[in-house]
Amino acid sequence: MALLLQGALEFARAAEPCDRPTKFGVADPLTGPNALFGKDQIEAVRWAVEDINAKGGVDGCKLEAVVIDNQARPELGIEAANRFIDVDKAPVFLTAFSSVVRAVAPVANRTKTLMLSIGANSPSIAKLGDYVYTTAPLSDVEMKALGPYIVDKLGKRRAAILYVNNETGIDGSRVLKRAFEQAGGSVVLDESYEPDQTDFTGLILKVRVADPDVIHIHGIVADTTALISQIRQLGIKTQITSYQNAFNQQMVQQLGPAAEGLVVTALAPTAEENPAVASYVARWKRDEGREPNGLPYTQYFYDAPYIVTELFRYVREHKMPETGESMRTALLTIRTFPQPLTNAVTFKDDHTVEKPVYFWQVRDGKFQFLGSTAQH
Amino acid sequence: MLQPEIILQLVWTGLANASYACLFAVAFALVLRVNKVWNFGQAGQMLIAYSAMFIVLRWWHGSMIVAVSAGLAATVAASLAIEQFGFRVLRRRRASTLSYFILTLVLSQLIVFVGELVFGTEPTTLTDSIVAPAFALGPIIVNVWDCEALAATVALLLLLYLVLMLSPAGQNMTAVADNAALAELYGIDPNRSYRMSMALSAIFITMGMLLLGTKTATVPSTPLQQYLIASVVATILAGVGNVFSAGFAAFALGLLQSFSILIVASRWQPLVVYGVLAITILLFPRGVGGWQFRLPAAGRLAPGSARAETAR
Amino acid sequence: MTYLLNVVILIEINCLLAIGFNLILGYGGLLSVAHPMFYAMGAYASALLTLRLGIPIWAAIPSAAIVAAVASIGLSLSALRVSGDYLVIVSLGAQLGVLLVFKNIELTGAASGLGGIPSAFDGAARAPIHAVLLAVVVLAVTLAVRRLMRGAYGRAITAMRNDEEAFAALGRNPRRIKIAIFAAGCGLAGLAGGFYAHYFQFVTPEQFDLFGTTALLTMVVVGGTATVAGPLVGAALMTALPQAIGFLDLPVAAMAPLQGTVFTSLVLLFLFVRPQGLLGGRRAGGGVEAWVGRPPISP
Repeated sequence: MALLLQGALEFARAAEPCDRPTKFGVADPLTGPNALFGKDQIEAVRWAVEDINAKGGVDGCKLEAVVIDNQARPELGIEAANRFIDVDKAPVFLTAFSSVVRAVAPVANRTKTLMLSIGANSPSIAKLGDYVYTTAPLSDVEMKALGPYIVDKLGKRRAAILYVNNETGIDGSRVLKRAFEQAGGSVVLDESYEPDQTDFTGLILKVRVADPDVIHIHGIVADTTALISQIRQLGIKTQITSYQNAFNQQMVQQLGPAAEGLVVTALAPTAEENPAVASYVARWKRDEGREPNGLPYTQYFYDAPYIVTELFRYVREHKMPETGESMRTALLTIRTFPQPLTNAVTFKDDHTVEKPVYFWQVRDGKFQFLGSTAQH
Repeated sequence: MLQPEIILQLVWTGLANASYACLFAVAFALVLRVNKVWNFGQAGQMLIAYSAMFIVLRWWHGSMIVAVSAGLAATVAASLAIEQFGFRVLRRRRASTLSYFILTLVLSQLIVFVGELVFGTEPTTLTDSIVAPAFALGPIIVNVWDCEALAATVALLLLLYLVLMLSPAGQNMTAVADNAALAELYGIDPNRSYRMSMALSAIFITMGMLLLGTKTATVPSTPLQQYLIASVVATILAGVGNVFSAGFAAFALGLLQSFSILIVASRWQPLVVYGVLAITILLFPRGVGGWQFRLPAAGRLAPGSARAETAR
Repeated sequence: MTYLLNVVILIEINCLLAIGFNLILGYGGLLSVAHPMFYAMGAYASALLTLRLGIPIWAAIPSAAIVAAVASIGLSLSALRVSGDYLVIVSLGAQLGVLLVFKNIELTGAASGLGGIPSAFDGAARAPIHAVLLAVVVLAVTLAVRRLMRGAYGRAITAMRNDEEAFAALGRNPRRIKIAIFAAGCGLAGLAGGFYAHYFQFVTPEQFDLFGTTALLTMVVVGGTATVAGPLVGAALMTALPQAIGFLDLPVAAMAPLQGTVFTSLVLLFLFVRPQGLLGGRRAGGGVEAWVGRPPISP
């Protein structure tokens, strides 16, 4: 995959560059431990921009994404944001990963530039300031739904929660614990581990002693894989659940039979619900020979440029100055944006987004759809 | 949590997972003993070994034998190059240990960055599946990887012992390690011994990376960030100059870390290594065995090292 | 404009770090890989002093520097008991271990770090004011170091570095000097950390990892160790160069490791070919040059 992403991406001919730059920034990790997600997310953005420009761009103006690698590191995120604002004069930019979003928020607020966070799921993001909005639900949505689901639909009442020691893990597991207990379950073990840990024997033995009937893992990728495989190796057959990050076909393949029965949540609609998703996945298989890492996240990344397009359109229609302030006004006026891959999104005053939660289970080495909260 | 089968399981898995740590510690201690260099470049050697095997196994879909041979060839070549063009040059210039530190550390970092350029920064493994077949042995679960890892480690340690004790080259190495100038007077070429020890350490490093890469996922910076410090601590614990003790110290450290789960939460387990380091520094700066922690620079005494001792 | 000023401010912070590192490496003859850790200590200390204890920023930052300096004494005392080389090992352990602790305790915000750190100035002129302020600080520190090195104490340091055995034989105590230099250097790192925390208003443990030492080594070795202006030149080059490279149309994903490759190659090159660095002169006793040794005079 010899992706040469440059500072400004080149697009189809249907949209011409016009006299006004129509730029937005995107900062994501293209190197570093999260690059496996970041690269696919940027690819999704690139496709969206291509597709938008093929249909005429922003009223004939070519939409441009300025891409910067921030390695999912806060200080690089701040640098990227400053570049978008000062050098590219972009009134809106996209970014992800909770620690980056939290670091960049003061910059966005101070300079009144609209920042759209995509996929970063710390619940604190809703309170980061006037210019910070998320386009995807925060982790509390997912975990608040999973708690009762485990009790009601899976019939389990004793949970061991293992989570990675970073913001995502800490926040996600906290929400799940509360939701699970509220639904009538009890948490028999609640422990975190370091992201680069490889041997979980001791932790798993602790789990065995605690005797849960469900184990929830809130990790990244390599650790989740290692944990699940070691749990099964040590002869523990307990039901395992995880969150959207584990909705990962490659991980399932690597685990082989150890992955059977794994239940995960996802926040993006399935191909069954939304045919555009099917052709999106097919496009991945055709162009890259595989499914994207973190498919649901990439769906949200694909959809974000469509929001940006609408914002530009609105601002230009109403002859507003192309600043972050205007973008924000546009966002709060339009409120609801149809989205090709994730259905519609509505921005609320409390900066949160509500979406149905989807449940999947691994059967015969593939993810099978179980149901969603939308059906309740 | 203190039931016998849990203790036994912790012992077994702790030992098995310490297998590659032992190999890395022995490699590190050997170079320290013979070449008198704290070889922080070992992280770079580890990455080279891994990369060579990775390319054969994952890019070219070659067999394991070819991969291991490629790994050995690449690492030995790199190690010899480091000795010939790095250590030997500094030795001739009577450079102080400081420059060895800078050289080896920066070299490792360079190799890591090149690794990231070539392979990216996504976690990878050497084999597609890291789940080995497992079976129950009494109360504990044993998997095939554990057995292979421990067997390989023991075999390599034995081999090294035989080489050091019985072969002329090995005996020369011991002589050079004890007193290079004296050995030279007896007609032994120290440079050959230096090269030999680097080559031997390369073998241990390659086999260690093979075990590591078939057990868990790594990124290019993993050897430097995670495994190097463990080798260093094991070496210090054992006392400078004790190669095999460093290997056993690595096993001890592994067991300690394994058992620490009984006392602390999982996320504090990595701290065990640093805790041991801290205690060693404060209480046993010369190693638990009471060996002298002194670092004579190869050749004449250079500013810094041994003089700091007299200047106390 | 803010973007450019941010780069300038980063250069200035890196200057403080490089000067401190140079004191330790170039003048003290010690290698410590824990400089990023003391930088972190300063950043966290200053942030916590203002956030939790409400101490004003102008007092918190110097206090943070003192905290770092005092902490460094613990490190150097225990290590230098044995030898200067032992400090490398000890600092490696400290760097990795202390950061792990920061990552796990609630006090430092654990893995999420500390956000919302108060800033000394607000408003549109924030960036220029900080840039000027830091320039003044860097200048002051540079002049102080220069003064020190030209005075009696500086001569003692040079003597110690050139021939420690003789120095000790004359009744001087090299260990005490090394501990003092180490404390000064780490104190400067703590100072830099304080400024960083209150300008960028966000600190996480990952920002201060082991690879920071590579950047510092590059700045100091390339600029010229044991020179006063060397670290400044090194810091400016090494901070500005990546920014400049960032504007070239290179593959985005390759830039970070590419920069790293260039840095480390430069250090190795200078180590063997020009150990006195860019600014180091022909004068004897030029820091790393003394330790890299000279090629043998033999045929």
